[in-house]
Amino acid sequence: MTEQDDIIQRVAHTLKEPVRVDPGIVSRVMAEIDDLPAPGRAVPVSRSVFAWLRRRHTIRLSPLGGLTVAAAVAAAVLLGSRLLAPSGALLPSETGTLGASAEPTVIQFVLVAPGAASVVVVGDFNDWNVSTTPLARSEGDGVWSVTVPLSPGRYRYSFLVDGTTWLKDPHAASAIEDEFGRPNSVLTIGGA
Amino acid sequence: MKTRARFVVALLGLSTLHAIAPSVANAQEPRLVGRISDPARTRVQSIVDSALAVGLPIEPIVDRALEGAAKGAPGDLIVSAVRRLWGELRIAREAFGDGASPGELSAGASALRAGASSADLAELRARRPGQPLTVAAAVLADLVAVGVPTDTAITAVLALAAGAGDSEYIAFRRNVERDIALGASPSAALGVRLGAAAAAETFDAASTGRTPQPTKRKP
Repeated sequence: MTEQDDIIQRVAHTLKEPVRVDPGIVSRVMAEIDDLPAPGRAVPVSRSVFAWLRRRHTIRLSPLGGLTVAAAVAAAVLLGSRLLAPSGALLPSETGTLGASAEPTVIQFVLVAPGAASVVVVGDFNDWNVSTTPLARSEGDGVWSVTVPLSPGRYRYSFLVDGTTWLKDPHAASAIEDEFGRPNSVLTIGGA
Repeated sequence: MKTRARFVVALLGLSTLHAIAPSVANAQEPRLVGRISDPARTRVQSIVDSALAVGLPIEPIVDRALEGAAKGAPGDLIVSAVRRLWGELRIAREAFGDGASPGELSAGASALRAGASSADLAELRARRPGQPLTVAAAVLADLVAVGVPTDTAITAVLALAAGAGDSEYIAFRRNVERDIALGASPSAALGVRLGAAAAAETFDAASTGRTPQPTKRKP
């Protein structure tokens, strides 16, 4: 036997020895295969997403990306709190008697002002806008009037005559609040 | 893998924009723009934001600011009025409970302005379980506004609380106002009308077997 034959025999012996394989490798390989899409067969998106979610990933973020994520979390919390907060709108919520329901009640505002050139009513129901709700003068007298549909609630208002003179409604209750030196009338419509 | 990670980051970025955009859009109360000077508007806006944060209705607050603007009030006075109203709405909400409607809170704020206490409002809530409080609280303020002493007005409104509906409260207030217009003193007018209401309540209770509610408020 030559030295060359001896080397060949040792190599052959080594190669014939059984390879020791990790016993878990089969299950891991099969799991990976299960996650792969089969050729020619569509994999449901939900399954693919679920498989992606199950695997571990390393996500690298730039500082800008990190700030984006932080801002997204903050925005989600802010939005959630906004959605949970009661609305700030004046909404009828219950039924009552005067006005009978949450349906708007048509209210007529009337002012006797024979010498006036213009009369408007301004109040909580029209954002205190002096041009939204002008009163119309009846033919031949000094009676000014306008009708306004109002939902249940409490409204403070006043008449503005000729664009300069503020007047309370002589036929309505006076508002207790008078912070701006020109007293208001108040109207309460039940049901809220 | 990197593609998916970038996709996730992009999605979060878009979510941020989507979430923040409405907040930015709602940040400024549009009705205040152009009606109030910028410095005053900024301060009023912070009060509005504060009301939103604690769940108070902003409508009465904005209305109060707009009233000041319509009447040409200086900015400081508008801010002061709005801030005071914010405090009254908060006290009214504590007394009436978290479920109180904006109308109830506005009326409660007026009642507080008329001199009622938080305990008075809580007592009114307790005596009218499940019933709206807007008219009852408003009538209290209205009675004080026509000259009825605060304590007397509170006692009257609480006395009516259990049995009276909104229409009875309105009729009661109108009768008192009519009596005053005819020359009666506010206290006398209220006493007469309250006596009539109590007599009617006693009659109704006797007819139905109910126990009349006490007419005095708790100390």
